[in-house]
Amino acid sequence: MIQENKDTTADSGKMYWKSLNDYSESPQFRTWVENEFPNGASLFEDTQRRSFMKLMAASFGLAGLGFSGCRRPEHEILPYGKSPEELIPGVPNYYATAMPTSAGYLPLIVESHEGRPTKIEGNPSYVPFGGSTDIYAQASVLNLYDPDRAQGSFQKEQKTLAGKTSTRWKKIQSDLILSKLVDWSGSGKVAILADSSYSLARQELVSELKSKGVIWAEFDSVDSISFESELAAKLDSKKPVRAIPKLKNASRVLSLDCDFMGNREPYSLANSRNFMSGRKVNKPKDALKMNRLYSVEADMTITGGVADHRLRLESSRMKSFLCLLGAEILKTKTKNDTALIDKFSDIGKDTSEHLNWARICAKDLLYTNGKSLILAGNHLDAETHLIVYFLNGLLGSLDKTVSYVTQPFSSNTGIQDLVSSINDGKVDTLVMLGGNPVHATSGFLDWEDISQKVENTIRIGFSIDESSQFCDYHLGCSHYLESWDLGLTWDCTSIIPIQPLIAPLFDTKSDIECLLSLLSDSRSSHDYVQSLFDKCEASIIFKDFLRLGVLKKDYTNKLKVDDLKSILHENLKPSVLEANSKSEVLLVPDFHALDGSFINNGWMQECPHPITKLTWDNALLISPKMAKELESKFPDIGLLPKPTLLNQTGEIAPDNAVFDNGYQKSPVVELSVAGGKKIAAPLYVQPGLADKTVVASLGMGRKNTGRVGCEAGFDSYPLLSNQDTRVLPVLEIKPTGSYKILANTQEHWSMEGRAIIREANAEKYSKNQDFATQMGAESHSPPIWGRDQDTDLAFKSTTTPRGNSSYEHPDHTYEKSETHGIHQWGMAIDLNQCTGCSACVVACQSENNIPIVGKDQVLRGREMHWMRLDRYYSSAERNGDEIPSDVQVSFQGVSCMHCETAPCESVCPVNATVHDEEGLNAMAYNRCVGTRYCANNCPYKVRRFNFFDWNKRDINQLYQGPLGDKNDSLPAMGKNPDVTVRMRGVMEKCTYCVQRIQEAKIRVKVKAQRTANLATGNDGADLKLNTQDLKVPDGTIRPACQQVCPSDGVAFGDLSDPNSRVSQLKSDPRDYAVLGYLNTRPRTSYLAKVRNPNPAMPDFSDSPHSYREYHDKAYPSHH
Amino acid sequence: MKNIFPRWINTVPIKLILSFGLLGGGIVAGITYYATPKYTRVGYQPTQPVPYDHSFHAGQLGLDCRYCHHGVEKSSHSNIPSANVCMSCHKNVKANSPLLEVVRQSYYGEDKDRDGQLSENEDLNGDGVITAGPSVPWVRIHKAPDYVYFNHAIHVNRGISCVECHGRIDQMEVVHHAKHLSMSFCLECHRNPEKALRPNSEVTNLAWTIASGSHSVSQSEVDLEQIHAGLEIKENWGINPPLSCTGCHR
Repeated sequence: MIQENKDTTADSGKMYWKSLNDYSESPQFRTWVENEFPNGASLFEDTQRRSFMKLMAASFGLAGLGFSGCRRPEHEILPYGKSPEELIPGVPNYYATAMPTSAGYLPLIVESHEGRPTKIEGNPSYVPFGGSTDIYAQASVLNLYDPDRAQGSFQKEQKTLAGKTSTRWKKIQSDLILSKLVDWSGSGKVAILADSSYSLARQELVSELKSKGVIWAEFDSVDSISFESELAAKLDSKKPVRAIPKLKNASRVLSLDCDFMGNREPYSLANSRNFMSGRKVNKPKDALKMNRLYSVEADMTITGGVADHRLRLESSRMKSFLCLLGAEILKTKTKNDTALIDKFSDIGKDTSEHLNWARICAKDLLYTNGKSLILAGNHLDAETHLIVYFLNGLLGSLDKTVSYVTQPFSSNTGIQDLVSSINDGKVDTLVMLGGNPVHATSGFLDWEDISQKVENTIRIGFSIDESSQFCDYHLGCSHYLESWDLGLTWDCTSIIPIQPLIAPLFDTKSDIECLLSLLSDSRSSHDYVQSLFDKCEASIIFKDFLRLGVLKKDYTNKLKVDDLKSILHENLKPSVLEANSKSEVLLVPDFHALDGSFINNGWMQECPHPITKLTWDNALLISPKMAKELESKFPDIGLLPKPTLLNQTGEIAPDNAVFDNGYQKSPVVELSVAGGKKIAAPLYVQPGLADKTVVASLGMGRKNTGRVGCEAGFDSYPLLSNQDTRVLPVLEIKPTGSYKILANTQEHWSMEGRAIIREANAEKYSKNQDFATQMGAESHSPPIWGRDQDTDLAFKSTTTPRGNSSYEHPDHTYEKSETHGIHQWGMAIDLNQCTGCSACVVACQSENNIPIVGKDQVLRGREMHWMRLDRYYSSAERNGDEIPSDVQVSFQGVSCMHCETAPCESVCPVNATVHDEEGLNAMAYNRCVGTRYCANNCPYKVRRFNFFDWNKRDINQLYQGPLGDKNDSLPAMGKNPDVTVRMRGVMEKCTYCVQRIQEAKIRVKVKAQRTANLATGNDGADLKLNTQDLKVPDGTIRPACQQVCPSDGVAFGDLSDPNSRVSQLKSDPRDYAVLGYLNTRPRTSYLAKVRNPNPAMPDFSDSPHSYREYHDKAYPSHH
Repeated sequence: MKNIFPRWINTVPIKLILSFGLLGGGIVAGITYYATPKYTRVGYQPTQPVPYDHSFHAGQLGLDCRYCHHGVEKSSHSNIPSANVCMSCHKNVKANSPLLEVVRQSYYGEDKDRDGQLSENEDLNGDGVITAGPSVPWVRIHKAPDYVYFNHAIHVNRGISCVECHGRIDQMEVVHHAKHLSMSFCLECHRNPEKALRPNSEVTNLAWTIASGSHSVSQSEVDLEQIHAGLEIKENWGINPPLSCTGCHR
């Protein structure tokens, strides 16, 4: 709405770039194009642009000579010609929509500022998610403004110059491509290869297309659903079978390689929410009612981090372990079915070393009678899932903690069938819609060959990627915030609309629009979706449906199986298992890039992996044991640091094999699997991994991507030899001799016995509820709080300390003092609810305009996240110089604590950071001169400094300062206008989302004033408002981190109100302050973590490992 | 030996000190005067694309400020009216004035024959609706820096009149920047809001003073009366303007 018109310099630069099309036939331009486009980046060549900028800068400088530069720059305010409905400039609008994911539609409420979507939140009307979103939904708004997305539609042009074939993409109208497609479809030999979708609209269109003879095939880059169809085949069900966990009712859960709260499994939001609600401990008594999680896994996942008992086991041995455990359950439940028991025991022999673990676990699962649940990961085979189904039935948990249903989407033609029809010459025209099939099948399909066999190829995709390279046309696919659609959630019980927040930014089409025009249907996607909705639901009108964003409508059918036992007998063949000694590689979707679709998303790249804490890269994760084996096999590999030595001059000599300029080097190895498939990747030693498992992630290391993702990580797709086998035996790992430096934000993993995260076992907590306050230096040091020694933390953090001073202190309560606010803000973080999913990190980034800094700067420790998630390991083995294998994981979100006696404030020479009357530690950017004293003095290390103009400069040219290229302006559209975009040289940190606080306060005051005015008719001094009217009701203000949290782990509110949720949490005996002994009196306090292990288990220890570490350190004499 | 330096050299140091002092003082005085908002902002009166006369519309005709700036009570931002607001009167009044051509273009947009219908050959972008024309490029006069988050809604709803920051717009033929709107200007009022508080009904009445309904004669008496009335409002409404950074800087 408000636009500056001074940016002429920048604009003319762009105009120049656009007009280059005019010169496109000149030989110079040809060479330039050839240089540029192999990487797919639409960047200017450095020197050309530089000299151009210089020239232009000079001419504009001269033009400004008539002292016009001294004048005030003229800004224009551009109002609408016709004001849109419901829009008041300056007031954001919120619309209900949804994000289509491979795990169903994710219901959303999206904030829009004058038509620009800026922030994504969950839609609370969808009860299972409770208004939370996952990290990818948070980051997806950045994809909309990705300058490297397909900015329109293109035709591929290839020319051979001097024996070298080069490609460039020429912009053409999207409608032109679609009309060509319609022409080609006349021959009746069209095939469409699409990613799977939960869209009802697409389903409808596809059935119409199929009836016209179009081959419709579906393919997901990371397959997570094919086992459902295989299971259905085994169970004689026509539609795929799905297990929908109802973890709210579960009190004992066994997870078999199932990261049900992380990014590897669908429905993780509901799972986190429901499962963690069973771990809420409001009173010490509740601790014994906590649920218990047994996790058997190969990878170290965040689900494993929550587990009370965790068994490291290779993925290929999961079925064996399941049978071992199943035999124990069978022995109790059906004693007479010895044939089955024998079969189970026979398969279970392979993991017999864990018999004791399995036996006690089985006993515990049986103990709860119908409140137990077994979950298996989606990379495990259908047979495993069949056994899980059987065992869940035995445990009596069907329809209680899990319901097995058939889902409405039938399975489609797979990619292999499509390829054989192409080979048979049944396909003339191939359309690749969404996904990125070429990249994901690079291990087993030869696209060079396939593309030769079809005449016409069209790629409909979000960006020009690997799949586009084999197509003649690229039709830009609209972002979901630009499209209309109608679909289902993963559990298929609610229908959800996708409505656009913004008209397509470029000449792109949504998949629905493409399919409609292929069917020569002239309706717009909106009209189509509306008519579809009206057809399937008559109870409410479409407009109301859009407003709600969610409507309950069950599309599932209960699974009915007649003779499960005989099916089981048929399927349970003593499998030929790999020999024990072989190691395996487990391929999982990458945390940063998911299946590859988020690789060019800067927020995702820079958000540290919750476990490894790596940014901008993935690594081959290996267990400490395997690392040792590799070390002994290849002594020069440089994987584990040797003990540091002093050199001749007495300086510490770093281990050159491991360190480079202080950065840890990671040896790059070549990993090969059967079929001669191999990848080269850096190694990372990960505690908690199964000894013989190597974990590689899929989705990183893409070649044809944008500026952000072009150098991130390595590609593991070449290892795949078919779509659905993601556990492969490793043939060989051998060093390549080269190294890679990985940017890790938390290299140290141990708390070293300090009481940073405090945890206890449930049993201990129920007996000793004050364990958290009895930990830490403040519990056994001389009194540091003076008179306040015995008051609670909330009181301490809202009162200025008097120490032992004998002077009377002025009364600073709101009624007595003008300098005291009406609210006193504070936050409580329940560590027992945190799963480590890291959604808060990206939510904060999105809300507060936090920039990304790039790998090079992360290596220098300059990442800008206001909220970081610390991950600590603790273990029973405390050798000190060795990385442990069996670890307990604890997470702690750390952002500015808003200390009442903030150490940062006292060192600021310019008063740029001061307290406000409501207890916020304010940061005035425009006052900051960048001394960085505050960051030095902050004991929590939460202050972030703008070393460069992150927002303004291209991330690769930071060091060139003002001479460097300006950032593309497209991402600036996604900035939150309520938060200052910080410039170089200022400090920043968490503000408790002060923009939301102020907004809510203003809203409450305006409302109070207007209500009183309307009620009484008074408008002068005769109108009376009391303090209560002006207070913001509890729960109104939700900082970004609280709003996104799926497990409700963050509470924010007014500490001066004893009934607010945060006050109540702070009166919990588990409440403690991190580094409380420094007398910083932080407003953010933590609720200690409670674990609930089973005393009968072989790996039981009566206190969490971190507690034992702390105890041994604090009381060494007790040994 | 002959004196190398003539006698007048003796006075050079003092002259130098004096002239540097004067120069320095001049620079300081110059910056203090010319480089503060009081000089750089007050009086800024750019030429607008449409010669809209506030003194006529708001003064003589008595249009309420909120007729055009309708978002001011709900939003942080007081909106500039969109062309359809102007056209609600000027479809009939001065419907053919050449001065209003810019507004008409913005309002009608694709509707070339200006009949309110989408006739043939009018739907240039093919979206099936009449798309409005280019915005009227009003030149911005009052601008808070990017790091200042001034909120109109809270001020006008809580008894602060438009006149406090914008001056007597109802008397301006062409709007100019009347007050300097520096941080000290904000803080002065935030420290002593009683000087400005008035009943809600008089917020958009720019001519209003406490004297309108009283018998006070001298200015000092009026001021005192305002302070008394303002203090009463402050007390009863619970007015407590923020004085810390977070109030305006986010």
